[in-house]
Amino acid sequence: MPDNTKTYKVRANDFEFLFTQEDLDKADVIETAPGEFNVIRGSRSVGVKLISSDAFAKKQEVEVDGEKFLIGIKDPLDQVLDTMGFNNMAARVIKEIKAPMPGLVLDISVEEGQEVKEGDRILILEAMKMENSIVIHADAVIKKIRVTRGQPVEKNQVLVELG
Amino acid sequence: MKKILVANRGEIALRIMRTIRKMGILSVAVYSEADRRAPHVRFADEAVCLGPAPSNQSYLNGDKIIEVCKELGVDGIHPGYGFLSENAAFAQKVEDAGITFIGPSPEAMRVMGSKLAAKDSVKKYNVPMVPGIDTAITDVELAKKIADEIGYPILIKASAGGGGKGMRVVDKAGEMKEQMERAISEATSSFGDGSVFIEKYVSMPRHIEVQIIADKYGNVIHGFERECSVQRRHQKVVEESPSSIITPALRKQIGEAAVMVAKSCNYTSMGTVEFLMDEQLNFYFLEMNTRLQVEHPVTEMITGLDLVDLQIRIARGEKLELKQEDLSINGHAIELRVYAEDPLANFMPSIGTLTRYEKPKGEGVRCDDGYEQGMQIPIYYDPMIAKLVVHAPTRIEAIQKMKQAIRDYKIEGVMTTLPFGMFVMEHDAFVAGMFDTHFVKDHYTPEKIKDKQKANAEIAALIALKYWQDQQKQIRPVEHKGTSWKRRTAS
Repeated sequence: MPDNTKTYKVRANDFEFLFTQEDLDKADVIETAPGEFNVIRGSRSVGVKLISSDAFAKKQEVEVDGEKFLIGIKDPLDQVLDTMGFNNMAARVIKEIKAPMPGLVLDISVEEGQEVKEGDRILILEAMKMENSIVIHADAVIKKIRVTRGQPVEKNQVLVELG
Repeated sequence: MKKILVANRGEIALRIMRTIRKMGILSVAVYSEADRRAPHVRFADEAVCLGPAPSNQSYLNGDKIIEVCKELGVDGIHPGYGFLSENAAFAQKVEDAGITFIGPSPEAMRVMGSKLAAKDSVKKYNVPMVPGIDTAITDVELAKKIADEIGYPILIKASAGGGGKGMRVVDKAGEMKEQMERAISEATSSFGDGSVFIEKYVSMPRHIEVQIIADKYGNVIHGFERECSVQRRHQKVVEESPSSIITPALRKQIGEAAVMVAKSCNYTSMGTVEFLMDEQLNFYFLEMNTRLQVEHPVTEMITGLDLVDLQIRIARGEKLELKQEDLSINGHAIELRVYAEDPLANFMPSIGTLTRYEKPKGEGVRCDDGYEQGMQIPIYYDPMIAKLVVHAPTRIEAIQKMKQAIRDYKIEGVMTTLPFGMFVMEHDAFVAGMFDTHFVKDHYTPEKIKDKQKANAEIAALIALKYWQDQQKQIRPVEHKGTSWKRRTAS
C-alpha cells in the first residue's frame, strides 16, 4: 500500500509542486479517451491530454487548456538521493560569457585585462532591432574578447573569456 | 499588368502574392540571404536574391529592386508595409523607371509623411485636430497664454523630439512655468534645439483609424474604422472592427473626416487615417499612413473586400465601382499579432527555431503567416510570426472564437504574444469595450499570465503523477530475490 505521508516532487515547466498520496487520491479525474482526461479542480472543469510518457525517466508531456508542460517526477527515493547530494555539482566558476541569443555585436564596453564587477555591461547585442545589454553576474577579469564590433553571433557563441 | 514584384517578406509578401495569383498575374519575390527558405520565395513564380540579410543591403535596396524589375519585365511593384512602402523617393524612382508603384503618388506620400505638412494640408478641410499651436516656441509667458486658451491638461512636446524626450504633461496653470523651463532645457540638451509645441493632452485616448479606398478619378470611400488601442511599446497588438464605442452617427462623421483628409492630398490607393479619440468621443486627426496597413484583414473580414485586389485594380487605372452605400459591416473581426516576444519578460524578442508550428483552423479563422515548422525567426527583421484574425456575427462570439484559436495555435521553440492575447480576450475591460491606449500599463502584469500558467501547471503535474503511478502498478520489475529493487517501485 502507498505510504500516505510520502511526498512526490513534480516539475511542470518552470513550476514545482509537492503532492502527497492523499492529494492524488482526492483528485477528481476521469479518463475520457486513451490519454485524455477531464479534471475538476476547485470548481474548474478542464481537459487534459497526455502527449507522451516515459515511465522509466519519469518524464511526461502534458497539455492543459492548449498549453504544453514538460513534467519531471521525483518520487520519495529520488528526493532522498537529491538530499544526499548526488546531483549537486559544486557551484561553477564562470569562465566565459556566451551569447544568450543570436544577434549582432553592436558595441563592446570592456577591454582585455579589464577588471569588471557584477552587473557591469560587457557588450551590447542587437537582435530584432532591439538592443540588449549583456552584463556579467560575478566580479572577474576580462581575459580575451572573442568577438568584434559588428560581428553576427550565434546563440551560445563565446563572447568573452574570463580570467 | 502582367507581372508584379512584391518588395517585401514574411506574411505580407505571401498575402499579396496570393491575391496576385488569384487575379491571374505573375508574381516575383525578392529575398535576402537569410530568407532563402521562406514561404514567399517558394510561392512566387520567380524569385531574386537581393543580397545579405541586413535590410539596408536587401529589402531596402530600392535601386537593386528596380533593376530586377527591368530585367524580368515587371510592370508593377507592391511595397507591402514597412521597408520601402512609405518612401516617396523610391516611389518616384519606380515611376520614373516606367513601372507602376502600387500605392499612392509620391506627392501624397511626401505631404502625409511630414507631420507639419499633413496638418497644413488638412487644415482647410475642417478636420478636427488636437487643439494646439503649429509653430514652435521658447517663450514661457506666451506658452502660459496659449495653455490658458487651450485648457489644461496640456502637453509640451519638443519640436525636434522623439522617444518621449522633452515631453511633459502639465495639469494646471501653476506648474506651467516650471514645466516649460524643464522641457526647454531637456530639449536643448537632447536635441540642441529648445523650441517646443504645446497641444491639448488627451488623457485617456483611444486609437481609432479609418480605412481609405481612393481611385485615380477622385472617388474616395472609407471601409469603416478599426479600433487599435491595445498596444505595447506604442505598437499595436490587438485590433478589431467595428469599434465597440462608435455609434452609426459617429461612424459616419469620422468616416467623412477621413475621406476629407484623403482628398486634401489627392490621395489614391489604400491608406489609413489615424485619429485619437477622447473619453467624450471627440476625435482628432493624428496622421495618415500611406500604405496597406498590417491590420487590414479585420476590415476585409467585415466588408468582404479584398483590399489588395482593389489596390492593384486602382493602380492599373480602373475606376472604383464601389460606392460608400454599397459597403456595410458584417459581424465583428478581431486580430491578434503573434510576435516572437516574451510577454513575461517585458515583451523582449524571443528568438529561436519553430520546433513545433501548427496553425488554428476553422470557419471564420484566418491566419496570415510567413513561417513553417522548423524555420528560424531571423534576427534581422520585425519579430512578427503571424496575424491571427477571427470573424463572427457578434463581438462576444468573436472574442470566444479568438480564445479557441489561441488554444489551437501550437508554437514551440520561441515565446510568443499568444498568452498575452488570451489575457486581453479574458480581461473584463476588454470584454466590456472599456479600454484606451493605456490598457497594458493599467491592466497588465506578467504575474497575471504566470498565475494562470501555474494553475494549469499544477493540473498537468497532478495528472502526470497519477498516470505514472497507475503505470507503476501495471509494470513491475522482474523479481530478484535478495535485492531491494522491488521495494522501490512498490512503495
